[in-house]
Amino acid sequence: MACQLLFSCSTKEPKFQQYYVQGEQLYIKNCSNCHQKDGKGLGLLYPPLDQSDYVDKNLHEVLCLMRHGKEGQLIVNGKKFNKPMRGIPSLTDLEIAEIATYIYNTWDRQHGIIDVKETASVLNSCK
Amino acid sequence: MKNTRYKMPDAGNNTSWTGCFFFITMIFLAACTPKQKDLPIFGEREVNGTDTIYHTIAPFRFVDQDSATITNDVFKDKIYVADFFFTSCRTICPIMKTQMLRVYEATKEMPDVVLLSHSIDPEYDTVALLHDFAERLGVESKRWHFVTGVKDSIYKIAQTSYFATAMEDKAEPDGFIHSGAFLLIDKKGRIRGKYDGTKPEDVDRLVEDIKRLRAEHV
Repeated sequence: MACQLLFSCSTKEPKFQQYYVQGEQLYIKNCSNCHQKDGKGLGLLYPPLDQSDYVDKNLHEVLCLMRHGKEGQLIVNGKKFNKPMRGIPSLTDLEIAEIATYIYNTWDRQHGIIDVKETASVLNSCK
Repeated sequence: MKNTRYKMPDAGNNTSWTGCFFFITMIFLAACTPKQKDLPIFGEREVNGTDTIYHTIAPFRFVDQDSATITNDVFKDKIYVADFFFTSCRTICPIMKTQMLRVYEATKEMPDVVLLSHSIDPEYDTVALLHDFAERLGVESKRWHFVTGVKDSIYKIAQTSYFATAMEDKAEPDGFIHSGAFLLIDKKGRIRGKYDGTKPEDVDRLVEDIKRLRAEHV
């Protein structure tokens, strides 16, 4: 599947390390205020990222919402969230790839690197 | 100072020295630890003969998430913690709300302690929106009031009563500048503490100070 292509690199590679470390910094700067440093979110205001069926199943949408934001009801782990999240248009393709690499390799996830080229092609086809 | 009076003959023996030192320290601590001091009272004060008039929170009238009118009377005989935020803020407010939620949890068993969060974006933060916000946070309106009102009244009370910064600034990413301060107000409407609501350690101190303040009021 398309997703598997994204995760083909080994997690031990220097490139992975670089993405991951940068991604963590960017996550703290851009995401953690609401989603919390530990990814647990806050009540029904900000959905969790650590244990999240939505994050697990929707990599492409997650990449797109970082840039374009998201509105309307969102069901995460069976709970209804409905607060708009504004996108951060200033994030580059690489930065979004790094944040995704961090999110998808933390909190028990081990997806491997989410490469900038793949990220760019997903971002080009956001709805 | 005190130690010299308790000099022991077997000072060369390490064990007894340590024990002795410990003993003396305990005496010293027991004798000299003062009764916990009252919290400071913030702001200017006026002395009229034997009376001191302290700075208090000016009269206010806002509406909370249940459309209830919230005035100073609601906080009569209550200790409360106040802050300024807005629901659409992505910068420090979510951190402040995470920390205020800790205060909410820590004061669960204290019926005389309530929380008051003022929206500094009252045009956007309607009663309905604040209601939804509080519900999503999972908190009870009788213990945590989220208020909206006339914008200028909110900015004015922030600046002149609570000594907190709150203003509009279109140059800022979210359009407002405000401080992340939590203010501790006693049962007489006086400010007794100011804490950085974005720092967990400072909020720990706030929770301790609430306990101290309750003890003081007894």
